Amino acid sequence: MTNSWLRAGAPPKPRDLLRFGPVIGFVGLFVFFSLATSTFLSAANLRSVLVNHFSILGIASLGMTLVIAAGGIDLSIGTAMDMASLGFIEVLAVGGSTMAALATGVAAALAVGVVNAVLVARLRITPFLATLGTLFIGQSVEQLATGGGQPIYLVAGHPLAIFNAIGTGIVADVPVALWIAAGAIAGFFVLLGWTRLGRRVVVLGAGPGVARYTGLPVRRDTALVFIAAAGICGVAGIVSSATIRSYVPLAGNAYLLDAIGATFIGTTLGRDGRPRIAGTLLGVLLLSIVKNGLLLIGWTFEWQQVGTGILIFLVLAVSFGHRREA
Amino acid sequence: MTAPPSVTSAVRVEALAVRGLVKTFGGVRALDGANLTVATGTIHGLVGQNGAGKSTLIKIIAGIYRPDAGVITIRGRPVDHLTPARVTEHGIHMIHQDRLLVPTFTVAEALFLGQEPRRGALPVIDRRALRSRAREALHRIFDIDLSPDALVGELTTAQQQIVQITRALLNQPAMLVLDEPTAALVRRDAERLLATLLRLRDQGLTILYISHYLAEIERLCDQVTVLRNGVDVGTVDPRQTSTTGLISMMIARDVGDMFPRRKAGAGAPALIAQALSQQDAFSDISLSVRHGEIVGLTGLVGSGAKELARCLFGVTTPDQGTISVDGQTLRPGDPAAAVAAGVAMVPEDRRGHGVALRLSVRENTTLAGLKRFSPFGLLNRKAEHRETDRLIRALAIRTPDGNSPVRDLSGGNQQKVVLAKWLSCQSSVFVLDEPTVGVDIGAKVEIYRLIADLAVDGAAILLVSSDLMELSGMADRILVMYRGRIAAELLSRETDADTLMRFVTTGRGGEADADAA
Repeated sequence: MTNSWLRAGAPPKPRDLLRFGPVIGFVGLFVFFSLATSTFLSAANLRSVLVNHFSILGIASLGMTLVIAAGGIDLSIGTAMDMASLGFIEVLAVGGSTMAALATGVAAALAVGVVNAVLVARLRITPFLATLGTLFIGQSVEQLATGGGQPIYLVAGHPLAIFNAIGTGIVADVPVALWIAAGAIAGFFVLLGWTRLGRRVVVLGAGPGVARYTGLPVRRDTALVFIAAAGICGVAGIVSSATIRSYVPLAGNAYLLDAIGATFIGTTLGRDGRPRIAGTLLGVLLLSIVKNGLLLIGWTFEWQQVGTGILIFLVLAVSFGHRREA
Repeated sequence: MTAPPSVTSAVRVEALAVRGLVKTFGGVRALDGANLTVATGTIHGLVGQNGAGKSTLIKIIAGIYRPDAGVITIRGRPVDHLTPARVTEHGIHMIHQDRLLVPTFTVAEALFLGQEPRRGALPVIDRRALRSRAREALHRIFDIDLSPDALVGELTTAQQQIVQITRALLNQPAMLVLDEPTAALVRRDAERLLATLLRLRDQGLTILYISHYLAEIERLCDQVTVLRNGVDVGTVDPRQTSTTGLISMMIARDVGDMFPRRKAGAGAPALIAQALSQQDAFSDISLSVRHGEIVGLTGLVGSGAKELARCLFGVTTPDQGTISVDGQTLRPGDPAAAVAAGVAMVPEDRRGHGVALRLSVRENTTLAGLKRFSPFGLLNRKAEHRETDRLIRALAIRTPDGNSPVRDLSGGNQQKVVLAKWLSCQSSVFVLDEPTVGVDIGAKVEIYRLIADLAVDGAAILLVSSDLMELSGMADRILVMYRGRIAAELLSRETDADTLMRFVTTGRGGEADADAA
């Protein structure tokens, strides 16, 4: 949309090409892993990447994208995921109904969002510190609730339809987890790009002073952003725990840095450097195949982080290199 | 006192001299061959209207800007490639308008930052010596007892200023440059500062003193240089020149037909403020602006005019008083309520408050009236495009199209986008805070025409400006604020620029003996 050279038909400048660093990187890595391993391109592996990496991180990153688009940051998305997961599994473990479990999970995540909303929008604590506080408190709550961090497993002989539905279910040849991700993505895409609220959020991020001096409901929007982000991360938490049929304390924190990374990789895609759903999803895909590919090549978990780090460095270096001229 | 102090004999070296300084900002000539000579051991004033080039000149002397042309000599020696650090090495210390002290430091730490007394040869700060020296220095220079342990952030503005000046003097400067030092001070503190400066001058210090307050200039300065349109129009002894004389030097007279002709409007009252007060800003302000009327509001920095404008829009909350629009009382401190009642604000800080630079012309333009383009909360991009294109044409905004980022537009066109934003929601009361600041002359004329058209169409306009020519040319009547109160209400067609300037700088009308407060 903003590719002026495409419209004008003028030859692309090198720095415009650099903008597609994440795309080129994705294609390059995809080809590389396909050639370097015999298993990467298999249907089973790609499905696993999509279900286990892309869908959960993708859903969580939607929330992060929304908050960053509004000019904030949410360090407690993992907490929202965990709270949802805890509520969901706990209700099932004590024999509650599926609906009750889902409702409890989402409500628990929204509660995390409300805490952030109060801290940021009402008490005017900077998002970084406010959500850091929520993160710490959430970690304690999780440990207290689980006797110091014991996972809650739903043992076999607990053949709940919900697990089959979310965790392993397939509808029209597509895993249910992916359907959920697709729905969430569509929802956030419309929210951020095509609604009044979304536009106000973008303005809040691009010019908080402008929002104030235009009489926009800055506080209400800020609150909504944090609540919506936590809510969608709750969905991610429920999908995650349905996949592994258990609640693992502090598991959500593993997604925090990836979600931030994916969002910022995504911002490099546009000339204006704003967070976008499409960009974030590309970032998520990139991170997902890097992890999976490195694992298949034989890099251990510890070394995967190095790979991810180098990737982010490269993308951001390229991006800032081109933005400095812009 | 009119004779220059005879510190040195026959050859008296100037502490500072600039010759032929030129500085251009994107087509606007801020300085156009300005000269300034400051004799050693004197207090030299620098005055001029906003936009005359004072702050540019100061920033060049401070080493913040590099001039396009011109020579600077310090004590007779030409210097180039000035940086703030080198200026300090040359013994020139700047006291800027915005106080540049770390609020979390104690007074003693702030005074000796970077040159703390050591404990013998150890790389450890001797805190006791630090405190006692701070106490001693403040007492010696300002004769005040300020606790060395007080936090800078908790001091009053005047105290912070004292700390800043003391800090500069600890470095035994040859010359001190003060930029509007009394703007934020109450009268008693301002008096004390002036007395101290006179004493320091008698001790041999050279001072360059920039102020809007002509009364201070007359009391303080041995010489004063008047800047106008980027050049020095004269250097005179203020004690042998009347206030009127100074003022007429400051005001440019060669204006063409910049301002559109328009009959003064007189519809129903639109914006009414009653007994509005805000601590440290303004008190007991009542005003009204009618539909079809342009009311000017002006005053020096610290007069409360800007604060009043922000308060009227609801960005800040008044301590007392009410604001109403078309008879309906506004919730105080709520910009959304003001916008809903039809109030529009064009803020002074265009890039921080007016437009979101990274966003497109369209996203900025439709922002205030977003509801009109989003039935059920969903954006109708087609309607947005149509409205944006209409406003781009109506306001002659020079942009490739509505999708271009506002950052790529010139200052004048950015300002038109701010106006377009409010036209998209059909506002009826406009608070315009310095709407043409930093705008080139062509765009200025277009903006004036837009403002006049709005008034003709029935909008009520409060034009806040420090450009007196703009006020005289645009406003039907002008409110002048001085130290937090409305000092005068003048009909512009009955008021000449000199009278207006006198009210602005002294707070009162007649030929001033000028020590007004």
